Amino acid sequence: MEERTRAYLRGRFRDHYRRTEITPPPAANEREWGFIPWTEGPDTTMVRHRSLLELGDLSEFLVRKRPRHVYFSAGRFRDPGASSMAAKDWQSADLVFDLDADHLPSVTLGEDSYAEMLAKCKDALLRLLDFLEDDFGFEDLEVVFSGGRGYHVHVRDESVLHLEREHRREIVDYVRGIGMEYEELIETETVAGLGRKTPTERRTLEIDGGWGKRTHDHLLAFVDDLLEMDEDDALDRLQEFDGFGEGKAQAALNAARNNREGIESGNVTVHTAISQLAERFASRAVERDNAPIDEPVTTDTNRLIRLPGSLHGGSGLETMRLERDAIADFDPLVDAVPETFTNHEITVDVSRGGEVELGGDSFTVTEGDQSLPEYVAVFLMARGRAEKEKE
Amino acid sequence: MQRLHARYPFLEAARDAVATEAVDLATVVEQDGAVVDRARERVVTAVEDGETGEPRREPRVELLSYPVARVLVSMIGERVLVRRYARAEAATAYERFAADFDDTTELKSVQSTDLDLETLLTEFDLTDAVQATADGYRVGVGTYLPLAEDQWGDEWRLVNRSLTDGDVPVTEDELRSLLREAVRGRIEDGLPFDVPDVIAASLEDEADEVREVLAELDLTREIDTVVPDLFPPCMKALLDDIQKGEHLPHHSRFAITAFLANIGMSTDEIVDLYRVNSTFGEDMTRYQTDHIRGDTSPTEYSTPSCATMQSYGDCVNKDDLCERIPHPMAYYEERIDDADDDDLEDWREGEGEGDDAEQSASGD
Repeated sequence: MEERTRAYLRGRFRDHYRRTEITPPPAANEREWGFIPWTEGPDTTMVRHRSLLELGDLSEFLVRKRPRHVYFSAGRFRDPGASSMAAKDWQSADLVFDLDADHLPSVTLGEDSYAEMLAKCKDALLRLLDFLEDDFGFEDLEVVFSGGRGYHVHVRDESVLHLEREHRREIVDYVRGIGMEYEELIETETVAGLGRKTPTERRTLEIDGGWGKRTHDHLLAFVDDLLEMDEDDALDRLQEFDGFGEGKAQAALNAARNNREGIESGNVTVHTAISQLAERFASRAVERDNAPIDEPVTTDTNRLIRLPGSLHGGSGLETMRLERDAIADFDPLVDAVPETFTNHEITVDVSRGGEVELGGDSFTVTEGDQSLPEYVAVFLMARGRAEKEKE
Repeated sequence: MQRLHARYPFLEAARDAVATEAVDLATVVEQDGAVVDRARERVVTAVEDGETGEPRREPRVELLSYPVARVLVSMIGERVLVRRYARAEAATAYERFAADFDDTTELKSVQSTDLDLETLLTEFDLTDAVQATADGYRVGVGTYLPLAEDQWGDEWRLVNRSLTDGDVPVTEDELRSLLREAVRGRIEDGLPFDVPDVIAASLEDEADEVREVLAELDLTREIDTVVPDLFPPCMKALLDDIQKGEHLPHHSRFAITAFLANIGMSTDEIVDLYRVNSTFGEDMTRYQTDHIRGDTSPTEYSTPSCATMQSYGDCVNKDDLCERIPHPMAYYEERIDDADDDDLEDWREGEGEGDDAEQSASGD
C-alpha cells in the first residue's frame, strides 16, 4: 500500500469517526486496549497494553489516531495498562465466540465468494445462538459482525465471567460436539423381568436437553419420514446406513411402525436396530448442528477483540453490533457499509480486479484507473487490490 | 458445635472456633503433643492412603489438628503434597457428609453433629446455583464447570450432559461429588502459605517424616515393570473384563487404568494391552489415560486404595498378601520385590513387534 493510499484511508477513517458515536463495552476502564496504526508494509505492529485512561476519551482517541484496527480485551483486570499479563491481575473475562469463514468446514476457500462465505457464516451463527440461548440460557449476549469474515458473540452473564481456560474449553467442546459419547447420552435402568427369568435393562436416550435431545430430534424426524414412505423406499433408505442389510432394515422399519411412541419417549431398547440408528444420528447431530467456532478465541481469557462500531482496516466495513431480531435480515455487504463512504465516487488504480458485491450492487471491476463508488474503492484499497489515484 | 467443627474443620465456623480457642498456633505446636501427633497422622495418612485417618475422640484435638496439618503441608510446600492432602481431606469430608445426609433419624438432638445439605450449600455459596428437582438437582453451568473439572469420567464432560437453559441436571450422588470438589477447592485454597519460623521449628521432626513418606511414594511410582501375572487379584480381574470386552463402570475403568499408568505404562501401551478386544474404545482409553497422567487435566491421579476398591465392590479374589497390604500398588511392589529379577518378563518385551515399533517409553 502506497503512502498516498494510506493517507487517504487515514483521513476518511477520521471523517468517519468524527461523525460516529461509539458505545464502549461495559467496564471499559478495566480492559486492555490495543490498536494497529496505518503503517508501511504488510506487517502490522499492534500497540497494546493500554488502559482507557492512557487512551483518553474513546471518541477523541479514534479521531486523533484514526487507527487501522482497534481492539479491547475480553478480560477485565485490576491494572489493565500493566505491561505483562501477570501484573495486569486478571479478574474476569467475557465469554467470547468467534465464527470465521476461514475456519468453516462448509466454506470452500478460493471458490466461495465473499458473500457466500458470509452467508454460511451467518448460518453457523444462528446454530451457535441456539446453543447459547437455549442450552446455556445466556441472557447478556452481544452479537457483532466482525467487519471482516465473520461474527463475534460476547457473553457477559455474571455466572460465567469467572470461568477459566479449561472450563471454557468444555463450553467450546459442547458447542462443537467434541467428545460426545453416545453411551453417555443413554440412561440405563434395570427393569424387573416381566415373565422373564432375568431382569432386563431399559436404555433411554436423554431427551430433555443437550446432545441427547438433538440426537433424538434427528432420529424422530427420520422415523417420521420413514413412516410416510412406502415399504420399498423406506427399506432402501434404511439400507443406506453402513451395516444395515435387508434384515436389519426390515427390523428397524417394523420397530418404527409398531413402537413409534416408545421411540418418541427416547426408549432405544425397542429394538437393537433402533439403538444402532440412534447412535448414527448422534454423530449426524454433531455433523449438522455443531457450531464451528474458533477455539482459541473462546479459551483465551486475555484475548483482544475488535471494537464494535470501529472500522475494519482490511475491508473498510463497520464492525457492527446486531440486535437479536435484526440478524435474520442482516446483510453485511449492505448494512455494514459505512454511510460516510456512500455519497461519492473516487478514482483509484486497481491492480487486482474481479467481481465485488457491495452496497447491494455487483461490480465487475477491471484493472487500471477508474472511478468507483467510494465504499468499493475503500474496500479494494483496504484489501490491497487498489491504490489511490493522484488527484 | 465443637464436634461438628471437629468433623468438618474446613467450615468457616470451624475456623472461627479455632480462633476463639484463644490459643496461638505456636503454643499449640510447642506444647500440645496430641494435636501435633494427630496433625502428622492427617498428612501421612493422606499421602499413603488418600484418607485422613481415625479422628481423635477429643474434639479439641481433632479440630486443632487441622490448622496444624495445613502448617505441615505448607512447610514442605510441594504441589503434589498439597494436592494429595486436599484430596484426602475432601474424601474424608465426603464420606462424613454422605453419611450425615443419609442419616434420616427423625429426632436429632439439638447438639447434632450432622451436617445437612442446605448448610453445606450455604457454606459454599451454592444455594442459588443448585436447585432440587423431582429426580435430582440442577446445577448452574457456571458453577458446574469448575466443580466437574477434576471429576473422573466422560459422563462429567459438559458435552455429554443434558444442559438446558443454563442448568446441568445431576443425580444426588453426583451433587455429592461436586460438593467434594468444592471442599477440595476450599482446602487447597491458600496452600502452601509462609510458615513463621517459630512454628516451623517445633514441627521439624514431623515435617521430616512427611518428606520421607513422600520420597517412598516416588519410589513406588518408579516400578516400571509390567508383569500381569503379578498384578493384585483386583486388577487382574478388571484387566480380564476389559480384554473380554465387558463394559466396565467408570470407577472400575479408572482403577485399572490408573494402576497401569502408575506402574509406568504409557498411553500407547495401555491401549495395546486393552486391545485384545476390538470394542474397548481406544479414544476413550487415550482420553482417560492422558487425564490420569495429568496431561490433559490439572491433576495427576493415583491408583485407588484397597479401601476404595472395596467400597466400589472392585476388591475380589483376595489372597493372603491382600490381608497385609493397604494398597494395590503395595501388593504389586511386594510381588515384584519377591520375584527373582531374571524370571520377570516385562509384558512390553514380548509385545515389541509389529505395529508397536514406535512406542515411546513414557508416553509424555
